[in-house]
Amino acid sequence: MPFREINSKMIEATVAPGLRLFSQRGAMLAYRGEVSFTPNTQGGQGGVMSMIGRRVADEATPLMTVEGSGTVLFGHGGHHIQVIDLTGDTLYVEADRLLAFDGTLEQGTMFMGSQGGVMGMVRGQVTGQGLFTTTLKGHGSVAVMAHGGVIEVPISPQRPVHVDPQAYVAHHGDVRNKLSSALGLRDLVGRGSGEAFQLELSGSGAVYVQASEEKL
Amino acid sequence: MFRLQGSKVLAVDMTGDAVKAKNGSMVAYDGQMAFKKLSGGGEGIRGMVTRRITGEQMTLMEVRGQGTCWFADRASEINLVDLRGDKLFVESSNLLATDAGLRTGTSFTGLRGASQGNGLFTTTVEGHGQAAIMSDGPAVALRVGTQYPLTVDPGAYIAHQGDLRQSFQSGVTFRTYLGEGGGEAFQIRFEGDGVVYVQPSERNSIAGDV
Repeated sequence: MPFREINSKMIEATVAPGLRLFSQRGAMLAYRGEVSFTPNTQGGQGGVMSMIGRRVADEATPLMTVEGSGTVLFGHGGHHIQVIDLTGDTLYVEADRLLAFDGTLEQGTMFMGSQGGVMGMVRGQVTGQGLFTTTLKGHGSVAVMAHGGVIEVPISPQRPVHVDPQAYVAHHGDVRNKLSSALGLRDLVGRGSGEAFQLELSGSGAVYVQASEEKL
Repeated sequence: MFRLQGSKVLAVDMTGDAVKAKNGSMVAYDGQMAFKKLSGGGEGIRGMVTRRITGEQMTLMEVRGQGTCWFADRASEINLVDLRGDKLFVESSNLLATDAGLRTGTSFTGLRGASQGNGLFTTTVEGHGQAAIMSDGPAVALRVGTQYPLTVDPGAYIAHQGDLRQSFQSGVTFRTYLGEGGGEAFQIRFEGDGVVYVQPSERNSIAGDV
């Protein structure tokens, strides 16, 4: 595991020759050893198509490649950091919540409309996530930022989970998500309970939820 | 049944019963849940009118269903309070959730409220059950005994329960008027028998400015 949690808001990553990682640009706090930071202008990996995808999707959070040998401390904006270990499955996360991830993970962009059709696109708008989201696939660790602490809620086929779109951080596994609205007459007359839209996640996997309704 | 998951998320397991929670504070749930806004804090017409007049606004919703519901609000720390027939006084902005069986109301605080920067009225929670209150940073529960009165900063006070009398103390001297105050011009003094909850942070209040 390349990431070690120093405290809830700071992680230490180990880099070695042949073991590089990507991080959000400007998130380095300190480093020890011979480490170099190169900005990725071509937008990470995945070839030209995914680069265009990211540009169009505005999921082009500037990343940098961290290489060399030594240890690096990462942290950003005083946000809480959650380290998620992936074992072959796919993590769906907003690009601006990504702090750092293993270079071995395959990065991609997913069109919201491909999951849930039109409702998926509406969902992107409602949650302020836009029409695209970032996917990371493979074996390795990802450090994700959230406001407040993060809880992990398991999803099983018998128990779908509903999440407030503003508190949603990331999810992994074989999960379908759709936007369910509980809009009723009460909302129209201004008597809403403040929970008009929810993300419904079903399948098997886990969803990460932050203890706050604030975006980063 | 209320339980804390971490220090900032409240998990409530429900089996067909209901809880009252701050509007919009649900972050996730599984199972079946229905959300309904309680107009005027769910105290009927009288409570609603009282709240309007006093400005102690509180929008609550009733959550009813089967499964687990998670609540959180702006990454505030959450503290659980058990009520056994006694009364909890709490600022409406610090109240996250209560059992549906608990009664909520409004009470007059006088000068103390004004010094806290929270207005002249406060919310009361009464009955048997659990309540979850929020604080900026982990709160401490300070015991007040008949021999041990307690004095707190109005900006750091969040709630109290038990049989307590409160009085307002002013440390204003002529130095304060010269702009040389120590920043602790007003305090609230609690006497009697009960518990006071204090947060490690101070709200902006008149008391903090002088």
